[in-house]
Amino acid sequence: MSRSILTFAILTFAILALTCSVTGAVEPLHQRIDQLIEAKIDGESAPLSDDAEFFRRLTLDLTGRIPSSQKTREFLKDTSPDKRRAAIERLLEQPSYAERMANLFHVTLMERRGDNPEWDAFLRDCFEQNKPWDQIAREILKPNPEDETLRGAAYFYTRRLEKVGQNTTDYSGLTRDVGRLFLGVDLQCAECHDHLFIDDYKQHDFQGLFAVYKGVSIRSGKFPAVNEASMSTKLDFVSVFEEGKVSTGPRVPFGKEFEIPDPPEVDPAEKKKKPDPNQPPAFSALSLIANDLTSGDKELFRKNIANRLWFSMMGQGLVEPLDQFHSANPPSHPELLDLLADELASHNFDIKWMVRELALTKTWQRSSRMASADKLPPRNSYRLGLQRRLTADQLFASVLQATGNLDRLLERSKAFNAKKDSEKTDSENKDAETKDAAAEEPAVDEYKELQALFLTAFGSEPKEPAIDYAPAVKQALFLLNDSKVLDLLKPHSGNLIDRLAKMPNTSVADELYLSIFCRLPDEEERAMINEYLAETSAANDDNENKSKEQSAENSPRTTALSQLAWAMLTSMEFCVNH
Amino acid sequence: MSSTQQSPLCKPWEHSFSRRQLLGATGAGIGALGAGALGGMLDPAVAEELKKQEKQVIFVWLDGGISQLESWDPKPNTQFGGPYRAIPTSVPGIHVSELLPQTAQQMHHLSIVRNLHTQDNSHSAGVARINRGDPKNRGVVYPYLGSAVAKLMGPTSSGLPPYCWVKPYSGGFKTGDAGFLPAKYGALAFGDAKAPENLLLNESVSLAENAKRNELRKKFNNRFAKGRRNESTDANSYVYDVADTLMQRRDLFDETKVSDKDKDRYGRHALGRHMLMARRLIEAGVRFVKVNSYHWDSHGDNFNACESLIPQFDRPFAALLEDLNERGMLDNVLVIAMSEFGRTPRINSHVGRDHWPEAWSVAMGGSGIRRGHVVGKTNNLGTFVDGDEYDIGHLFHTWFRALDIPQKMMEYNNDGQPLPVANEECSPIEELLT
Repeated sequence: MSRSILTFAILTFAILALTCSVTGAVEPLHQRIDQLIEAKIDGESAPLSDDAEFFRRLTLDLTGRIPSSQKTREFLKDTSPDKRRAAIERLLEQPSYAERMANLFHVTLMERRGDNPEWDAFLRDCFEQNKPWDQIAREILKPNPEDETLRGAAYFYTRRLEKVGQNTTDYSGLTRDVGRLFLGVDLQCAECHDHLFIDDYKQHDFQGLFAVYKGVSIRSGKFPAVNEASMSTKLDFVSVFEEGKVSTGPRVPFGKEFEIPDPPEVDPAEKKKKPDPNQPPAFSALSLIANDLTSGDKELFRKNIANRLWFSMMGQGLVEPLDQFHSANPPSHPELLDLLADELASHNFDIKWMVRELALTKTWQRSSRMASADKLPPRNSYRLGLQRRLTADQLFASVLQATGNLDRLLERSKAFNAKKDSEKTDSENKDAETKDAAAEEPAVDEYKELQALFLTAFGSEPKEPAIDYAPAVKQALFLLNDSKVLDLLKPHSGNLIDRLAKMPNTSVADELYLSIFCRLPDEEERAMINEYLAETSAANDDNENKSKEQSAENSPRTTALSQLAWAMLTSMEFCVNH
Repeated sequence: MSSTQQSPLCKPWEHSFSRRQLLGATGAGIGALGAGALGGMLDPAVAEELKKQEKQVIFVWLDGGISQLESWDPKPNTQFGGPYRAIPTSVPGIHVSELLPQTAQQMHHLSIVRNLHTQDNSHSAGVARINRGDPKNRGVVYPYLGSAVAKLMGPTSSGLPPYCWVKPYSGGFKTGDAGFLPAKYGALAFGDAKAPENLLLNESVSLAENAKRNELRKKFNNRFAKGRRNESTDANSYVYDVADTLMQRRDLFDETKVSDKDKDRYGRHALGRHMLMARRLIEAGVRFVKVNSYHWDSHGDNFNACESLIPQFDRPFAALLEDLNERGMLDNVLVIAMSEFGRTPRINSHVGRDHWPEAWSVAMGGSGIRRGHVVGKTNNLGTFVDGDEYDIGHLFHTWFRALDIPQKMMEYNNDGQPLPVANEECSPIEELLT
């Protein structure tokens, strides 16, 4: 560690000296990132992304879905020289930014274990306020049941403390996850002995955290909350390989052990009373751990979040796997990781600031296409923009956006929930009028239903890191044959197919490409679409009598439009962030 | 391979829809069944060579460790022998536990290796280590046997995915088995032998329209792939090809195609249904089928556990051997039944047996394997191997040979790094091979 700090110090000094002598001031972080990436590049790099590529990537990364055709048109038409920076600022201020980040952190921290409305609300609030990461982490690691806006954070613990079947409470799993997700170290194999292959991971590091979590339990009640038993003795443990007992008090991995104070004198009369488990403990090891682990001078805490933010934007961690920080697994760009971690800490762990800086880098803005690439460069050279499969949530939102069904389904969802609420409040005296109105309203929340289907088909496996979105047969079968998916490609008032059905053939290609691929087609592609439509209408003319009887919904032209849209939605250009 | 060529195992139902309609709609006949659908997995010349033989594998994995003393290597009336007797089999001189009465009658199709000595006594590392053939550590995660065979032999001419897995609980495409090989060599798992969801073509889409939309999808993919990394495009195309193949072979999941008699012979319990499914997948032309059974880790109450579990294996396993033999398929189908280790001869204080990699047994038969034979032996108490012993690496070599995998294929290429497909310190067990 000390060596890397030294290297960092020397390097920082060198860069500072260099930049200050030229400009007289420190350059913004995004430029320093690019310098460090470019210093290691040998060979050709892809050019910067074009406007369409940039805008699609940006909207996906900052708002969790592709842009509408309207927004893409506006961005492409905009001729101001600073429009990229302006777009970054604009999107960071949209409500969908907080939604996207809340979703990203939800999936990262809960790994598809389940959902909880209070947890969701907590995360959304964190990103609406742009809370510093160390504060968020503290609020999760030492949940506060007294504050309604914060108490949902306990779900991180309570979901993991739930018993599964006849298994005992998985304290080991919880200990492991805290290490993995907040410090980037997977201590699983150090539970029963020092890690066999990773010298840095000692059994002591696991047990010091485990000692604390052994005393944590789920508080029964309507919202997620935990109780903590006051720790009065150290935890004894043995190695399966070595003789002799060892013991530890509360300790963050690689940190210093906290002393356990003598338990306070208790009045003998008090002693007889059954203690209230909801009372805060006399000595809260959890508080010490939560504060110590999240302090800005914890190197791994800084680096873990820097690496994870880099991964979420770039598609590749500086340290991979994300939870394997140790001296035998060095980062691809050590100075860069130090820079990101330290800058993040000195900027008050401001996530939005870091996302903005990353989006401003040339590295992030690089195209994913190379004209003259015989052998494509290694992933961690960042010479070529990396393709990332859309997450299940991005895909769901983007399919609705592309097919023009997002607003329609959200409105129907709202109507459904309003109906449900009104039924709750005045179920007794409902007059005939509201009954009629209710009859037209959807019987189920179609938006939620469809979302659940997408998450089932595309979501990563529960309890697995949500980093690898490998294509799967069930996803293909879902998009091929699910009625609700195919219904999105039938004309409904104002959706994509409805709009296209009313357009002349010559306008179809542009609208299709802008809506689904977020770019304009080239001449070849325009010709391909026109040709396909011409073929269909030729076939249509042959059956002219028949076609007159057909409704617009299943006319051959509408079918052809749906097929084109389906093929684009299931192709790589759509399902990848490129 | 032309997509119009039919599999030798082709079933009449395949023609229940108009093939012409399908071909006519696309002009070139895309979407029809055939190895073309999963093309690109194998060098064409090697594919041609392998196609002639169509060797296949059924791999029964008894997770947790079946007790060799209550199955393939009984030691009745000895200190650790337990309460069960040994019974004669269809091969004079070979005895197995009385818990395997039906398999005993199929012994003339099987060989037993009784002198296995492997290196790992933990589930957590041992399962993967055995499944990967325990190669020398080169810092590379080796594929499981099924993924290895999928890579080395590819799909059969049926065009079905080369590695399928019938297992309890959930299905899906399990890429973990592939190790360092590309994800497409992973296992396509059918949870509880059930069809994947959304297998039927949506009623609003005609066959012609389905072919058309897939053709369009490929066009868009081709345009996108230019100048970009194509690993993910490949994997994406692959899952659509598999989906397409499965949609056409939906009969595989049609319960009404199986006679009640067969259902009774295999047994209606999970392992019975799953082994019957394995037979059907093998008949349809899947290259490698893994069948999984869990809960064999009998640390406590071993003897009651064995009395409950082993018959659940015995019945369908015997039926499987019988059926493959009857259909003349045993010459081409390698059948293996094994775990990650055996169980301790010493009976613990919970009347259980613990993990024992020191001396245990594996049963196998079919393609390339000598029949009605026993390799090696354990000492009188069953505690250790008496004489020569073999490791999992020897079995991997034996199986690859039994499958007639050409010598030139016996090496992986991991991004330029050549890797032997099995531990180079081991060799095939010659006396096991025909």
